[in-house]
Amino acid sequence: MVFLTNKIARNLIIKEGRKEGDVNMHATIQKSLEEIMSFIKDEEKVLIVGCDNCAAKCKSGGRPEAEKMESRLKEKGVNVTGWIVPEPAGASLCKLSNTKKVLLEDHSDMVGESDSVLVLSCGQGIHTVMDAVGDSLIIHPGCDTTFGGETTKDGELIEEFCSLCGQCIIEHTGGLCPLTLCSKGLLNGPCGGTDEGKCEVDANKDCGWKLIYERLKSFDRLDLLLEYQEPKNFANSNQPRQLEITEKEVKFTSANGVKVIER
Amino acid sequence: MSDLSKALSAGEFVVTGEIGPPKGTNLENCLKKEADPLKNQVHAINVTDTQSAVMRMGPVAPSVKLLERGIEPVLQLTGRDRNRLALQAELLSAWELGIKNVLCLTGDHHAMGDHGESKQVYDLDSVHLLKTINTLNEGNDLAGQKLKGSPDIFAGAVVNPGSEPVEMQVLKMKKKHQNGAKFFQTQAVFDPYQLESFLEETKDIKAPILAGIVLLKSSKMARYMNENVPGVKVPENIIQELENTPKEKLQEKSAEIAARLIKELKDLCQGVHIMPLGWSHVVPKALELADLTQMAEIKN
Repeated sequence: MVFLTNKIARNLIIKEGRKEGDVNMHATIQKSLEEIMSFIKDEEKVLIVGCDNCAAKCKSGGRPEAEKMESRLKEKGVNVTGWIVPEPAGASLCKLSNTKKVLLEDHSDMVGESDSVLVLSCGQGIHTVMDAVGDSLIIHPGCDTTFGGETTKDGELIEEFCSLCGQCIIEHTGGLCPLTLCSKGLLNGPCGGTDEGKCEVDANKDCGWKLIYERLKSFDRLDLLLEYQEPKNFANSNQPRQLEITEKEVKFTSANGVKVIER
Repeated sequence: MSDLSKALSAGEFVVTGEIGPPKGTNLENCLKKEADPLKNQVHAINVTDTQSAVMRMGPVAPSVKLLERGIEPVLQLTGRDRNRLALQAELLSAWELGIKNVLCLTGDHHAMGDHGESKQVYDLDSVHLLKTINTLNEGNDLAGQKLKGSPDIFAGAVVNPGSEPVEMQVLKMKKKHQNGAKFFQTQAVFDPYQLESFLEETKDIKAPILAGIVLLKSSKMARYMNENVPGVKVPENIIQELENTPKEKLQEKSAEIAARLIKELKDLCQGVHIMPLGWSHVVPKALELADLTQMAEIKN
């Protein structure tokens, strides 16, 4: 029995919505104006920086959003130097070389005039701005980075299929991740709250384990549901983590130690 | 060996009850109202563990108080709030306090309760928990270390025969049994035919099953359960029966309905698990109507 890869698997799942233009990205939502205002001191000159990739797709930090944030802040009496969403079209803020060029060369005067920058993007975009400007500007996070998402329906819907958990077990579940799709992240699901394929938490939400069951059933592999799945090894989840690449090895480090993988 | 374990081994028709600890320290009142009416009526009483993810006193203290009253507890333990260290620690403590029966549950999602912003754990699910008890009973912990003294916990699990698709429940039940469940209590059952067909699917699982019986307090409650409790399907005729009952006769009717169900299920399974949901005082009547008073006689 051949197991299809996760990418193909997703196309076969319940979801019909994936179109040619659909992509994967970091899903972000804007922080409330109230919270953002609490970051800004009186007299502070704020520069708004957005991102034309993921944040634009999430409508949290693209051009219209950056422009709107400027008027909202100005309405509240904030001294806004302006807004920048780095070009070219679709550019990721997290691409350091481009962001550096845009901020320190193309718009050096705006940057020079500002005390701080409100970044409308995911955490990686925010850190790229920090790397670009160094100590010269205070950084305010304008968005909450919520999950690694995949767009469907040409971007109308962004869903989560992988939680970046560090220990991929989808071999045992037909390519569907129970940590992500099950509200409780169970490895030996379902729980007693499943009924008619819906989760006890939200009647509109599919039970992740029902999806897994259906998929395994279609491959005639329900035997996999009887296999005991060990408790997750959280040792690899201890942050911060890093990957070090040398000539002969790749070293994964978490707070629990180093895992060496030969190349 | 726990009394529950002995009774099941002996092939007695076992009756278990259930109480929910108080939201606060008023345990004595809770026990008087919910546990005392069940004494000598049931083989053991389950103590729920932060049921519905609503914060309340944990199940260990009430279980100890039940022991002091001469009632055997079944400690319910969920994976939602404690990691594997804390769960193993809790199991050893519980054993030390005389608690011998543990029902292993995954745990209701915190979205259903009153502390929706808490950090959920789910380090161990119900299957892991069962295996953990097995491991401790064999004298080791989950890290493979030898224990200085080991428990002999009688572990049980839950199954939901009314949940669709039923095949998922059957597979889960098999898995629970394979990993240490020695007995099962079901979610509330109202349809003996459905239970019968479920039991047919699971007849190769050699573990006693106690059918769940909920005391229905009103037609409103029945409808609420149909809408909100997965796998529970109170049939329309029972709802009508309750609807046509005047308020002052509801407790009597509740006992009557429960007794009828118990009689219909008696020959299908090894016992019943009664969830009075606060109406413990109605249970003795229900058992009497169901001709299940031998338990009280034996105990006395």
